[in-house]
Amino acid sequence: MTSQIKGGRFGPVTQTDIVRFAGAGGDFNPLHHDPAAARQADFEAPIAMGQFTVALLSAWLTDQIGVENLRSLDVDFKAPVNIGDVINFTAELDVDGPDGTLSASIRTTVGDTTVVTGRTTFSAERATLAGGEGSDADHLLED
Amino acid sequence: MSQSKTDTGHGSEPGTGTSPEPRENIRTGPPKLVPGMVIDEVRFAVERGKIREFARASHAGDAIHTSQREAAERGLPDVAATATHVVASGHYRSQAEMLTTLGLDITRVVVGGTGWDYHRPLVAGDELTGSRTLVSDEAKTSRSGRSLRLVTLKTDYALPDGTIAVTGRETLIERG
Repeated sequence: MTSQIKGGRFGPVTQTDIVRFAGAGGDFNPLHHDPAAARQADFEAPIAMGQFTVALLSAWLTDQIGVENLRSLDVDFKAPVNIGDVINFTAELDVDGPDGTLSASIRTTVGDTTVVTGRTTFSAERATLAGGEGSDADHLLED
Repeated sequence: MSQSKTDTGHGSEPGTGTSPEPRENIRTGPPKLVPGMVIDEVRFAVERGKIREFARASHAGDAIHTSQREAAERGLPDVAATATHVVASGHYRSQAEMLTTLGLDITRVVVGGTGWDYHRPLVAGDELTGSRTLVSDEAKTSRSGRSLRLVTLKTDYALPDGTIAVTGRETLIERG
């Protein structure tokens, strides 16, 4: 039996979401909150910082697998995330490794545009994925 | 109290003696960047309130970030930080200074990627010292023929006993 990581969604992204993250993380680059600065950088409006999208992505992931089980997370930023975007998160589990570590590839999209790609590894010991014992059976995939 | 310092790791300034410096010792242009050199260092505490704030901004719903009972049930001594919590070190170190140290133009720089290796979960109460070092500094050409400069940095976040809890990496791309 193979489990899977359930897809997730966030949005539409608001300026307030970005401001909240800027305050939490200390990124006050005006590109992310100042319309004039964004226009000067040839954007129509302020854009989200990459770390905002990664924060959402990591939360989607660890709300399912448990932050204490995470071993690595690596992402590449492919395209900016704009205010108004609805962000979709998907992951595909790799074939189980023999040592209790699972890995998955991650794709984050806005519409047809891929905004983030990445990989994650995590401990399988206590991670409870969809399809594990006692959880929603809709996501069970039989071997 | 948090602090940051910058160490560019290059040679000393030319002297101010009366004899002229040999031409080879006069430095022109930006400092030479050597892989392994320390870019900056930051110290900060992982705090319960900041964990909660960052979890909210990340839209993380797991109670492990806000409930000590939940954290204890899952084997942790206090609430757990979210996976990207070390980003909050942005309050304690200057990205602008870092770019200046690296000789990067902020108006032409984007973050190409980022990542972390987790050696143990961060919890409220952890005191971290993050040392950021240069991994590589490469010139490349984009598919459209544009010159790019790729700078890869690594930050080791160490606990007071010297063990590294989290290692972060970031790749900066400066477009020509």
